[in-house]
Amino acid sequence: MDLVQKEHERLLKKSKGSQSINHVQATIDMLQSARDAIAADPSQASITLAKLQNPVKASFDAINDSLKETHSGLNKYTKALDKLFKDRPLPSTEHDALSSQDHLINRAIAMHLLREGQFPVAATFLSEMEQKEHLWASQSTALTHTDTAAALLKIGDVPSTDIRNEFETMHYILRELRENNNLLPAIEWSREHKDALEARGSNLEFELCRLQYVWLFHGGQNQQGPSLAGRQAALEYARREFHTFLSRYPREVQQLMGAMAFFPNLQASPYRAIFSNASAWYDVSHSFTREFCSLLGLCAESPLYIAATAGAIALPTLLKLQTIMKAKRTEWTTQNELPVEIPLPPSYLYHSIFVCPVSKEQATDQNPPMMMPCGHVIAEESLNRLSRGNRFKCPYCPNESHPREAKKLYL
Amino acid sequence: MASELTSTKLNAENHLLLDQPLLRLPHELARRNFKSVQRIVEREKEYVLPALKEVTNASFSEIQNPEQTLAALDTMISRMQGLKRKMENLQEEEKKIHLQSQKRIQHLESLYNIPSLADVKYDMWSRIRLDRLLADHMLRSGHTESARQLAQEKGIEDLVDLNVFVQCQGIAENLHRGETKDALQWCGENKAALKKSQYNLEFELRLQQYIEMVRVGDKCKLIDARMHAKKYLTPYLSTQSVEIHRAAGLLAFPQDTIVEPYRSLYSLDRWSHLADLFIRTHHELLSVPSRPLLHIALQAGLSALKTPSCHSAFSSPSANSLSIATSVCPICSTELNELARGMPYAHHTKSYLENDPIVLPNGRIYGQQRLLDMSKKLGSVEAGKVKDPTTGEVFHEGEMKKVFIM
Repeated sequence: MDLVQKEHERLLKKSKGSQSINHVQATIDMLQSARDAIAADPSQASITLAKLQNPVKASFDAINDSLKETHSGLNKYTKALDKLFKDRPLPSTEHDALSSQDHLINRAIAMHLLREGQFPVAATFLSEMEQKEHLWASQSTALTHTDTAAALLKIGDVPSTDIRNEFETMHYILRELRENNNLLPAIEWSREHKDALEARGSNLEFELCRLQYVWLFHGGQNQQGPSLAGRQAALEYARREFHTFLSRYPREVQQLMGAMAFFPNLQASPYRAIFSNASAWYDVSHSFTREFCSLLGLCAESPLYIAATAGAIALPTLLKLQTIMKAKRTEWTTQNELPVEIPLPPSYLYHSIFVCPVSKEQATDQNPPMMMPCGHVIAEESLNRLSRGNRFKCPYCPNESHPREAKKLYL
Repeated sequence: MASELTSTKLNAENHLLLDQPLLRLPHELARRNFKSVQRIVEREKEYVLPALKEVTNASFSEIQNPEQTLAALDTMISRMQGLKRKMENLQEEEKKIHLQSQKRIQHLESLYNIPSLADVKYDMWSRIRLDRLLADHMLRSGHTESARQLAQEKGIEDLVDLNVFVQCQGIAENLHRGETKDALQWCGENKAALKKSQYNLEFELRLQQYIEMVRVGDKCKLIDARMHAKKYLTPYLSTQSVEIHRAAGLLAFPQDTIVEPYRSLYSLDRWSHLADLFIRTHHELLSVPSRPLLHIALQAGLSALKTPSCHSAFSSPSANSLSIATSVCPICSTELNELARGMPYAHHTKSYLENDPIVLPNGRIYGQQRLLDMSKKLGSVEAGKVKDPTTGEVFHEGEMKKVFIM
């Protein structure tokens, strides 16, 4: 990379200092002055022209020289690029499993744009997509009829206005929360969806109210630190709102109220973590986004973002695999599973994973994990192979059991 | 711990796979630009030097009066001025390209300063990359306006090759409409580079022109067609002889013939084939990959993330995640679920569960501590009971059974 940068800088300098245009100008000047001289004194024409020959030729040579220099600079930069991307071609383009699913990708993009709050871009994108589909529809009627069916199907897949509205609400609430420190819309939303949130075991409503309490405690709109009026407002807020939380969060509410006594010296008190948490607003907006999207059945981060990033992380490994497979002429035998493990950061693991300790295969719907009475778990196929329908010994402990006694597990 | 460190380490050198076109494309443009400069300089040189010599000789042998000499000089001067103007334009263009490249190099360079995949800076960098990939995809599928807006909103105009793709799409659309003019002009501009191309775009375009002439079918046009074939098709005789013979054969068949291969030569589908061919040639020339980068990234990413649970009939998307507190898995999320259906799932050699797994009587596995905490938070569950977050069933705490995952 350094090499590329260096070569490019050199190229840039060269192109800035390029003399070729000056040489062209010099040639023009020479021709012009010769012309003037001849016009003034036609008798000297032959001499003047003869004198002109060599300088004009020389200046063309100079132009060529300076072009050559630029050329060599370009070539050096090419070499630097080649070196940087050496033996790193793009993954083979042989089977592009996604090209046939363009409408699904477009839908994912549209939803990504909505989720990111890029409403104007999303609107343009959708309308351009529709235009294209109309174009397609009108063209394909002339050609084949199967294509129109596919085109019609696509229109149905575009995110409905409902989703758009949901995301607009989300961005309104987030904007209020982040820019104006206004928690009320978020609290209102969490109350509207109380049941669903509770079923998920979410603490969102309490977290929001707690932050509101802390915010009031610090003086509300004008944050000048703990003041009498602020404490008064916080106390009133707590009286009004916190009784609903008492059964579920007794300890947390106690803490919040106990902090009142420590107001002159909160920094040194055990309540410091609650009252001066710099990332509190960020955390709350994050968990709000998460809950909001989860209720819609969506991932909190943009799936497109996660997938593209994971893809970028996975590509070097896959590429290496590709070269090895090509060199050894091996085929990859299981079509539904990647042949290598991709080292993704732990935050990219979303599901529990069970790998059978006997067969080393991942559990699937067809081959679920089975728990023997001793509490050890192996995959169903391994269980059948080990037992052949009779009592058998657990491969990991002395316990014996019948395959009938094994229990199917759900991850 | 050690394994965690290795899996989040960022190897920038390896990471730049998707970013090759980012530098290659402007470089190809710069080279093309340079070639044009070279060409026009050469052309003027070849005119001015002999002309000057001629004027001088004529002046010495006194067969020319001074007015003619002056006129000849004037032409030279005006041609040189034209050259200068053209060169200035091209230099301007070159400067733009170089500045753009510089910005791109800086962007890639910043990746080298990020040590870990878990870094916030990497997150930001990766978001820019996604926006770039999105814009690339939009441009390729002809959603130009969206791409322009997106680039503007995100301030990444320098990282997106808007004009190149717009021009390419324009020419391809003209081909769809049955116009070869722009495409042929493009071929003319890139003549030298096209010689190395693996596709023979220009021949195909000329052949199409010929077919259109034959299609009209009246005598006059047929003569034109023969002239056209002589002029543009025969130079390819050594490499495309089969096609040229077929083209000759075409003269014998009316346009509603059912005889192959003449039927497909007359077919209007050839126009979309030509448009595709043009796009492929264009991308090849500018070293742009033939499929959208987004596809490449997604195909790898979907597989890397996918688990057998993502399309399982037994698990609900939200509840069987590692921890209820984390969100829905991206593959289970509506956006990508269908897309990932045909993909292979990631390979794992180790089980990955919470470290205190218990099993409930209905066969569901959870982390014990988390399940207890969660049930406590739920107002509706009595003390000493736990609630299965997936199915909603309530069990006694004593019914939780320890399970051993090796």
